[in-house]
Amino acid sequence: MDVGTRVPIVSSSLRPRPLDELRAWGGTRLIRGKRVLDVGCGDGRFAVGLAPLAASVQGLDPDPDAISAARRNAREAGIRNVRFEVGAAQQLPYADEAFDVVILSWAL
Amino acid sequence: MVDALREIHRVLAPGGILIDARPDSRVVARAERRAGHGFQRFGLVATNREELTNDRASDRAIAQVLREGLFKSRRRGRFWHLVPFESLGALRNYLWEHLRFVRRARWVVDEKTRRRHAGDRFVMRRAIRYEVLSAIKATVPSTARAASDPRMQ
Repeated sequence: MDVGTRVPIVSSSLRPRPLDELRAWGGTRLIRGKRVLDVGCGDGRFAVGLAPLAASVQGLDPDPDAISAARRNAREAGIRNVRFEVGAAQQLPYADEAFDVVILSWAL
Repeated sequence: MVDALREIHRVLAPGGILIDARPDSRVVARAERRAGHGFQRFGLVATNREELTNDRASDRAIAQVLREGLFKSRRRGRFWHLVPFESLGALRNYLWEHLRFVRRARWVVDEKTRRRHAGDRFVMRRAIRYEVLSAIKATVPSTARAASDPRMQ
């Protein structure tokens, strides 16, 4: 849908679709069946999009409002293997070697 | 940024990968009119100075962790992303409000042409770069690890 009256100008919908972006990076094999961490996940657009392929997806973002939106988006999409947490990339609240893939999508 | 990358290295399993993807500010974005099945270039849109500085800092952070031997670059590349707009006015509003770009395009068509096609559909063509890095994990015997860990001494 084109940006203008129906799509807000500041919107994560203006970014590439998760699967399109994943295809450009090398395909679904990068995350299929893997434990994925999405750092700077924002409203969860990417994490929710990839969750059906991954074993589990964890989204992290310092913005509590973004995390609330991400949880809502996951609930609305009926995705169960994704969790979201407020936190900073400089101090990740996870154990050593907890993930197979970490994604910095427009976050670094 | 380097701290965040070191943390990411810590939470990655052996053989794990980091994917860093972001807009490529080294490539100027383009404002294009949809013309039949193709596109007509209307203007060029530069990244603002502050974002350029941030992008360079990100590049340096990646280079730093590569130098430190925490990661190895496996693959990198670039692809185009098209942001669609229902009119030239919508594209201009986007530029005005979007923090990443300068607020005005450098038009490569004259004003008369812009006015004539103001109600046409447009796209912003932006370059996205990505890099896939694999985490390098030293395999240290558990006894040696315990000896070097200050918490165990």
